[in-house]
Amino acid sequence: MTGRVIVITSGKGGVGKTTTSANIGTALAKEGYKVVLIDTDLGLRNLDLLLGLENRIVYTIVDVIEERCKLKQALVKDKKNPNLQLLAAAQTRDKSAVSAEQLKEICEKLKETNDFVLVDCPAGIEQGFQNAVAGASEAIVVTTPEMSAIRDADRIIGLLGPKEEITSVKLLLNRVRPNLIKTNEMMSVDDVAEILEIPLVGIIPEDTGIITSTNKGDPIVNNEEALAGKAYRNVAQRILGEEVPFLDLDEPKGFVEKIKNVFAKLKAKV
Amino acid sequence: MEKGFVENGFIIDLSNTKNTTQLVFELSSVMEHPEVKGKRICLKLGSQDLKQSQLLSIKALIESMDAEIAFIDTTSEQTEASAVSLGIIISKLGENVEVASYTASEQEIEEETVEVKEEALEQGSVEYEEKTVEVHAEIEREDVELISTIEGIEDTYTEETTQEISEIIPVEHFETDFESLAKSEGLITNEEMSKYIILDTGDVLPEGTEENTVDTKTLPTLYLNQTLRSGQTVNYEGNILIIGDAHPGSEIIADGDITVWGILGGIAHAGSKGNITAKVRALKLNAIQLRIAGLYARRNDTLNVPYVQKTNEFTPEEAQIEEGKIVIYKKLRRD
Repeated sequence: MTGRVIVITSGKGGVGKTTTSANIGTALAKEGYKVVLIDTDLGLRNLDLLLGLENRIVYTIVDVIEERCKLKQALVKDKKNPNLQLLAAAQTRDKSAVSAEQLKEICEKLKETNDFVLVDCPAGIEQGFQNAVAGASEAIVVTTPEMSAIRDADRIIGLLGPKEEITSVKLLLNRVRPNLIKTNEMMSVDDVAEILEIPLVGIIPEDTGIITSTNKGDPIVNNEEALAGKAYRNVAQRILGEEVPFLDLDEPKGFVEKIKNVFAKLKAKV
Repeated sequence: MEKGFVENGFIIDLSNTKNTTQLVFELSSVMEHPEVKGKRICLKLGSQDLKQSQLLSIKALIESMDAEIAFIDTTSEQTEASAVSLGIIISKLGENVEVASYTASEQEIEEETVEVKEEALEQGSVEYEEKTVEVHAEIEREDVELISTIEGIEDTYTEETTQEISEIIPVEHFETDFESLAKSEGLITNEEMSKYIILDTGDVLPEGTEENTVDTKTLPTLYLNQTLRSGQTVNYEGNILIIGDAHPGSEIIADGDITVWGILGGIAHAGSKGNITAKVRALKLNAIQLRIAGLYARRNDTLNVPYVQKTNEFTPEEAQIEEGKIVIYKKLRRD
């Protein structure tokens, strides 16, 4: 078995890399694929919290690299889905504890026995980023519809371009708020896709459920009703090669709005 | 479910719930509301029959959220009896007083309803306070026995256990009484109820170290007066004493005992070189992982506290190995 190694990156912090990693990983595992999530954010690890696995971590990626344990020992199985495993980052160390070569080696080993290896990249473009990207053959760039996030995503796409090993770079637009797009206060999905010129793999609506799911340590894909959960499940389907239409994020129109529309049309005719 | 406002408190109407499970979950969903903290709660329990142990659990749940029961309103004789034996005031909410339903968007209504409820509360509680005092005096003696026979509740705070140290019941299962209630309803199993669950880690003692029983009193002690933050590690070849909190993400590793005069939220590893007599103690033992010698235990997922819960209510606990298990005592003891 040769699995796919996908790095989830963004440049800017706080746009939802870790949330995206946890949710795509969980969604793929739910489909029956064997998935390993690697947290490469040494010293500022969060992925374990989002999955609710912090209390199970005994060994981290640094212990594997410094040979205090075997790779298999350091993999923490998910509470709900044994197909999903986590290789946690060390909280008490920093980025320099790992080199790009070492991470690449770990990815190579893991993809032999798993369908997917998802690498959660730290913010920034320094060594942490270079490490995370080293073993990957695909990348998902997460951004939000804000100028600063888009600028940083553009920078990242530029850095990924020259890397020969990375054959596919896709865009995931996070925290989209349709009502703000409608009033032209937020850039539309098309605008962002046009600026960044890479194919879209997903559009995730802003969802307050993300906050509660993070605090509970239970990814939102496990919530059948949440819109963001559905959007993430669709992303997983697209990664698997299915053609899934993007969610219609328009909220159902109210009566007043409908009337307004009628008037607007009438006006246009006059 | 109706909720209303009383003076510095809430009326929570649970009379429409069908069984105890539903009741507890409805109640806990209300109790999660941050406004509940420090408030007096008036429970409308309707015709629900609650055993003394169940009512005690509900009381514990409410108190765990820093609130208190002002009084309960019930039509069930059993519940009434349970309440009397627990010293909970029983009162009838005035039938003619409409309980305003409370939702977040209706904040403006609060002020109007507060006055009405205040009256209802005062009348109700005064009327019944006398009655409870009488009845309570009668059963006081039985009361003590009753508590000790309640199944599934290990009350380590009763007088007997404080006097005779040898009889302390090890609180291996950290049973907040809410949990035992949930258990009686078949919601959670035994394993889910333990505060800490042993991790299957295989052989985790570092090479060249062996299990030993060195008296930790003979070891030197590192004294630290600071908060340990996420990512910070303290490692010492002896005992570690921390005056302050140890936040989640921090690590304390000692050859001997670990004592935290504060909230322990990170990882604590006592007897890290194999000393199986080492202990971990804290004013609030909330470590994400407890490790003693080669025995590793993770905090139960049901106690999902991803951040440090700062609190002024401390429940000192001490963990040690007994018969291959990590046992937590709710009392600090001297050898």
